[in-house]
Amino acid sequence: MRIATFGDGKIGVVGNDETVVDVSDLLQKYDPLGPEDLLPDLITHLAELRPELDSRVATGGGVPVADAQLHSPLTRPSKIICLIGNYREGTDRPIQILDIFFKSPEGITGHGDTAVLPPHQADIFHHEAEIAVVVGRESKDLSEDEAMDAIFGYTCYNDVSARGLGRTGINSFLGKSFDTFAGFGPWIVTSDEIPDPQVLHITVDVNGERRQDYSTADMERPIKELMTYISSIMTLHPGDVICCGTNHQGLGSMQDGDDVTTTVEGIGSFTLHTRDEHAREWKRGIDEEMARRVRETGTGREMPAPSSGRPA
Amino acid sequence: MRLVLTSDDRIGVERDGGIVDVSAAFEDIRYRTSADRMPRVLATFLDRRARVEELAASGETFSAPGLQAPVPRPPKLIAAFGNYLEGINRERQTQDMFLESPDSVIGPGGTVILPNHPATIFHHEAELALIIGRRAKDLPADASALDVLAGYSCGIDVSARGMGRMGPSRMGKSFDTFTPLGPAIVTTYEVPDPQNLRITMKVNGELRQDYSTSDMEYSVIEVLSFITGYMTLVPGDVLICGTNHQGLGAMQDGDQLEMEIERVGKLEVTVSDPQKREWPRGIDQETAARQRAVGAAQS
Repeated sequence: MRIATFGDGKIGVVGNDETVVDVSDLLQKYDPLGPEDLLPDLITHLAELRPELDSRVATGGGVPVADAQLHSPLTRPSKIICLIGNYREGTDRPIQILDIFFKSPEGITGHGDTAVLPPHQADIFHHEAEIAVVVGRESKDLSEDEAMDAIFGYTCYNDVSARGLGRTGINSFLGKSFDTFAGFGPWIVTSDEIPDPQVLHITVDVNGERRQDYSTADMERPIKELMTYISSIMTLHPGDVICCGTNHQGLGSMQDGDDVTTTVEGIGSFTLHTRDEHAREWKRGIDEEMARRVRETGTGREMPAPSSGRPA
Repeated sequence: MRLVLTSDDRIGVERDGGIVDVSAAFEDIRYRTSADRMPRVLATFLDRRARVEELAASGETFSAPGLQAPVPRPPKLIAAFGNYLEGINRERQTQDMFLESPDSVIGPGGTVILPNHPATIFHHEAELALIIGRRAKDLPADASALDVLAGYSCGIDVSARGMGRMGPSRMGKSFDTFTPLGPAIVTTYEVPDPQNLRITMKVNGELRQDYSTSDMEYSVIEVLSFITGYMTLVPGDVLICGTNHQGLGAMQDGDQLEMEIERVGKLEVTVSDPQKREWPRGIDQETAARQRAVGAAQS
């Protein structure tokens, strides 16, 4: 089942005829405080709602996807948890230590929306295509057996990243938390439709030109391990999202006017527009220097060499 | 005014050594849990202050069974890196911040639970906490920036060291229970100068951290202006302003932590470690010296 957010904050199910059927009214019985509660309520009560949702979709009468004004399927997750790196990128280096950072949920943006580049003096703004896991239930200390059952579904993610900001000598991730920098779309596909999330092809096309092109088979820490490890640190809630990291081979700049389309096999595609009031320009195409540095050192611009263990 | 959230879900104001229930000022606000209630309350608080003050002045005081964190689960929990000169005469470093898990927050009297992860040490970091009361983006670096504050509070940024991939990973700060917050939200007019507050941390009665917010590299105003250049702040967001590392020390099983900020209040929590690990007690002089050396090297 594909779950989308559209129009003026409605939630819908996308049918096989590529129309979005409004199911917001079925969620009113849970007494939402606002549109941000609709998705967590649907996630929490999916088993109970499923017959009604299926019958609603079978009845039809939906809006064609192209006319539906899709938004980010995630309205306001309590946490956006992002993996650092997490792909082997064609090297045979040892698996690195798992590490994460958080992205501002105020940065959420969706299909057809615009990533607005801030006036800050970044070295470059990169797209990072990722598969993202949407949490299905409140979870802490998940066992390996429970891990995959705690997943509601999957969506596509563009982790828009300003490089070169923040304090030198530390791995700053604040350049990823500008408003409009957390792109999700086009919908969430429930986990029953993705039997194996570790064999999916992920691509980015910028103005039709292929950039990133990799498989989730190359992931260092598979999704099951991400679920157990992260839930050993913090409580996860329905609608929280874990973004599984990116393969840096194929990153490139995002600049004024660019249309950036992120696709994950079995899930779908969504496009972010790019606006830069300063109309800055970077070399177009793949950032080969970044790709080489990550291959050779395992680190990109945001990940300097191991430091003294200095506290934050 | 000192606004609190009691453990039986009443919104209160401290008066005459007790608490007055001011929940009536917010009775129109729908909520499901105290976690989602307080951001909604704080979104209205600055505009309803007169009504809250009226209730606080006229109501009967009661003795609360206990307090929750004044924002049990903030929409965002933002932390500043370092942000103190620490006795080094040096240039200011570039300002930087990161986000922590909002599920790490616990309240006064709560228990920090050290996880079964191979950290090299667990440190207490006492910090001035800012509680946001208005939606804000692109604030100017002048006194008007303070108008978005619902008030100040005490925050402890508990930090598991030696975790993560490289450099100072923030992951070790996001364990559940690792951000004690409280006891109250103290309105800005109770704190006329936030850059002249003494902050202390005592562990089992022994003084560890003891510093002044006058040593801050970037002032509260500059912190607010900087972060809103990146992201929108929303009511209920909590921003902890960084710490002075001179005086950090280990937290271990059974420790009683008592953090105090002049004019803001005293926050007490206990520590539990099911693994009963032990570290040297007292101030971690090695971390303090390293921090001074890094500061000196960058001056």
